[in-house]
Amino acid sequence: MFRTICRIAWASLARRLSRSVLVVVMISMSLWGLLLMEGIYDGMTEQMISNAIRSDSGQLSLFAPGFREDPGLNRLIMQDGEITELLAGDPRVKSFVRRLRQDGLAATAHYSRGVMIYGVDLATEKRQGRLDTYLTQGEYSFGEKKRGAIIGARLAEKLKVKIGRKLIVSAQNSEQEVSAVALTISGIVRTNNMGLDESAVFIDMDKARELFMTPAGVSQIIVILQAEKDIPAVQNTLGQHFPTLQILRWDELYPALMQGRVMMNGFNMVMSLLIFGVAGLGIFGVMLVSVLERLREFGIMLAIGTSFAQVRGIIFTESFILGFSGFVAGSLLGGATLFYFYRHGLDLTIFGEGLEEFGMDVITYAVIRTSYFTTAFIAVMLATFVSVLFPLRLLKKSNPIEAINKV
Amino acid sequence: MKQPFLDVKKISKTFHPGRDVQVQALVDISLTFNRGEFVVIYGPSGSGKTTLLNIMGGLDSPTAGDVLLDGERITGVEEKRLSRLRRDHIGFVFQAYNLIPVLTARENIEYVMQLQGRSRSECDHRTREVAEKLAIAELLDKLPGEMSGGQQQRVAVARAVASRPKLILADEPTANLDSKSAEGLMDMMQALNEDEGITIIFSSHDPLVIGKAKHSILLKDGQVAADEFPG
Ligand SMILES: Nc1ncnc2c1ncn2[C@@H]1O[C@H](COP(=O)(O)OP(=O)(O)O)[C@@H](O)[C@H]1O
Ligand SMILES: [Mg+2]
Repeated sequence: MFRTICRIAWASLARRLSRSVLVVVMISMSLWGLLLMEGIYDGMTEQMISNAIRSDSGQLSLFAPGFREDPGLNRLIMQDGEITELLAGDPRVKSFVRRLRQDGLAATAHYSRGVMIYGVDLATEKRQGRLDTYLTQGEYSFGEKKRGAIIGARLAEKLKVKIGRKLIVSAQNSEQEVSAVALTISGIVRTNNMGLDESAVFIDMDKARELFMTPAGVSQIIVILQAEKDIPAVQNTLGQHFPTLQILRWDELYPALMQGRVMMNGFNMVMSLLIFGVAGLGIFGVMLVSVLERLREFGIMLAIGTSFAQVRGIIFTESFILGFSGFVAGSLLGGATLFYFYRHGLDLTIFGEGLEEFGMDVITYAVIRTSYFTTAFIAVMLATFVSVLFPLRLLKKSNPIEAINKV
Repeated sequence: MKQPFLDVKKISKTFHPGRDVQVQALVDISLTFNRGEFVVIYGPSGSGKTTLLNIMGGLDSPTAGDVLLDGERITGVEEKRLSRLRRDHIGFVFQAYNLIPVLTARENIEYVMQLQGRSRSECDHRTREVAEKLAIAELLDKLPGEMSGGQQQRVAVARAVASRPKLILADEPTANLDSKSAEGLMDMMQALNEDEGITIIFSSHDPLVIGKAKHSILLKDGQVAADEFPG
């Protein structure tokens, strides 16, 4: 009997082909569009988060007490040896870097600007956040004599400097005196992390120690883990071993980005609601007309011994076929398009210039999550279910005998 | 006393089509039928034929009275059981558009048998058998829309008879047919009645059709005006 139910449902839809196809197209097109929006927005958010994590915060950052409120060379992490040992021995940790930093001034012959000077080790930075991939000009090196500097792209624009130009970098050292060093610009990076692009001057760690007169200690230890889910546990472990230090997650350092991610979850819900609405209304329209047209047909089926449950089965099956086809078509289209943008990226400059100013990459790589499809599936299935409730009620209330007798 | 096959006991039916409006469609009707009868219920339009057939077939409930089919009460039964009762024991033929439009003649004929859960081979066999008797073997793969009215009614009769019900009720089965098709259909129904011993009760107001019955009941204003055995 199940076969007959499916057969009747399928044939009834086929009989009203253009109407059925219209609904399926309607559902699949809206699902397509929404999947696309979702995957691309998500891609933007994740890229911004990834840029912040890779270029600055890591997943966890360690600071000496008070450093964040009043950064200075007198508030450094002095137990970095122990921390290094602990991090190196923890299998959950993928990599970590140490940075020494101090406010300073960068000057050319014509311009000068306040900057943030970072003492870094380029090799570990490359492993950690692939800092080298952000390079837009020059090379990822401080030169043989370590007299090079890699600076943020916006800073380079403001100072109107190019690769190879001299840059005088000065800062207050740990003795409260100003010391300066002449460097050559060896590279320019665009991280799309606004803070860094506007003001970062990366120099060699040893050069920084010389300049700041700090033979030991670091300002920040940045950790990246093998798996995101371990963040709280590792934060906990570090907190137990080094109770005096401040250990912050990326989302504590960049709360706005976390909000972006929370918003994505909201967006996913909104999208599911929209799909629910579109699918629900579309199916409702078709099924309502279809039931009204077939009152007599259903009347006869009921008269000759079809149970109401079986008639309901036919109507649900029709609704399910519509919803499911729309879901499958929309998911295939949306999935394929997202996959394309996941592989090749989407050049957002077609929508306008200046996206970098918001910390966005020009090329956005879409994200594809199974949750897009599962929530959409649930939404469509709910819609197929809800949309036939009213037509079914109508059928139940209508008197099948009257429908039969009306010829 | 021997129990009648179909026992209609003091049936009344009142409709309330509107506020303070009452229509007495059937008034205190009592009838008995024996197994294997070929019965016509006739009478002018509005005399209550359809209402009576609907009540005898468990499609509608009387305001008062009882109907017993083979000793089993079919009035005052809850809808689920009634639905099963109709499926297993009663075949229906209506005036027109009896068939499920998206199913072929074969699928329509097999429909009730499938509801009953009969096996594939049994359905096949029985469909071929009844198709032969109703001269529709060539039409089995056609959809209702591709058949004439007379052909459709023959398929409807085939469906009603295929599931081997105790009783077939046909409400003006020939009303929408030309006289030649009508006569053909009646002859086939008569043959089925004789061959398979199946009880058939039909309604009509066509004298030609009425003449074929061996038991005729005349309804007037919802009452039995005559109950005769002319044949
Ligand atoms: N559902 C209904 N509501 C109100 N009145 C009805 C209904 N069905 C039938 N009637 C009335 O009952 C009477 C008998 O109708 P019916 O059984 O259809 O007669 P017939 O089939 O002999 O033409 C008629 O007066 C008709 O108007
Ligand atoms: Mg009638």
